[in-house]
Amino acid sequence: MALPNKVLPGFSATLYAQDGATPTPLSVGDLSVWASVSAINDVVPVEAVPAFGQDDAVASFGVAGSRQSDKIPTQAAPTSMTITAAWDPSDTMLLLMRDDAYNGTIDRTFVIQATDGTDYVAYAFNGRVGEFKVDPSPSAEAKCMFTVHPRGNQYGWSNS
Amino acid sequence: MANQNDVNQYAQAIQAQLSSIATPVPVYASFNRNFATEPKFITWQLRDVHQPVYTGVVQSNKGIDTPVFQISVFTQGMADGFDIANTILQALHGYNGLFGGVTYGFNISKADVVFLYNGYDNDIGLHNIFMDCTIYIPS
Repeated sequence: MALPNKVLPGFSATLYAQDGATPTPLSVGDLSVWASVSAINDVVPVEAVPAFGQDDAVASFGVAGSRQSDKIPTQAAPTSMTITAAWDPSDTMLLLMRDDAYNGTIDRTFVIQATDGTDYVAYAFNGRVGEFKVDPSPSAEAKCMFTVHPRGNQYGWSNS
Repeated sequence: MANQNDVNQYAQAIQAQLSSIATPVPVYASFNRNFATEPKFITWQLRDVHQPVYTGVVQSNKGIDTPVFQISVFTQGMADGFDIANTILQALHGYNGLFGGVTYGFNISKADVVFLYNGYDNDIGLHNIFMDCTIYIPS
């Protein structure tokens, strides 16, 4: 088992989250440990995994008379993810997302795994759910949308 | 999570639902010229069965199905055709609930019928009316 070495389809990404109403999130160190990350295996049935990773953040400044201004990377936060899922009102994981949004302070470890069918790469982070709403547009299934805000500096990469 | 629905059940339910609406006009699953000896009859064809699939390794991560079945009304008299088409529209358009009767039925959130067009086939001497019905199936 190793890091996938192919270009992956977007469909290959799966979102997992810890189960339980009051989970104990992984430590920052464990977020980069495959054995810890892969043990989180409850699937959140989302339509698509949105862009994940780190935001861009820079401090820009210029000095009068200087030839060029400068942009210096700052402590860039992990990207917040607004996620859409087909809404099944009794889906266990979606109910957890709804409860997390209601609570607002529950830290939970989320894992995004992508695979080429054999090997896995994982991005794990601790985050809080900050939004939960349902869109019942009549042309398709009802959607529920929620936003996960990762905690600063609490993410890691690992692979099988 | 949504499992893949059974298209065979769709077919049985469509046959049962159309039969109950149009009775005593016979309903068939597809057109056969031998039926053209009958003064009026209905055929249907199912298409566009598709539940959108969503990301990840779980096969049941799907949305709802919105299949379409075409309803074709054939009659020797034009007024009969419009009358049957109207009966179907009144019964089916906007319908919510059990679709296909107690034996084969399942619940649908909505049926949406479009009256496409009417015409006449000189070879078989029948007026025809074509309608599309989309059904929205929770799954």
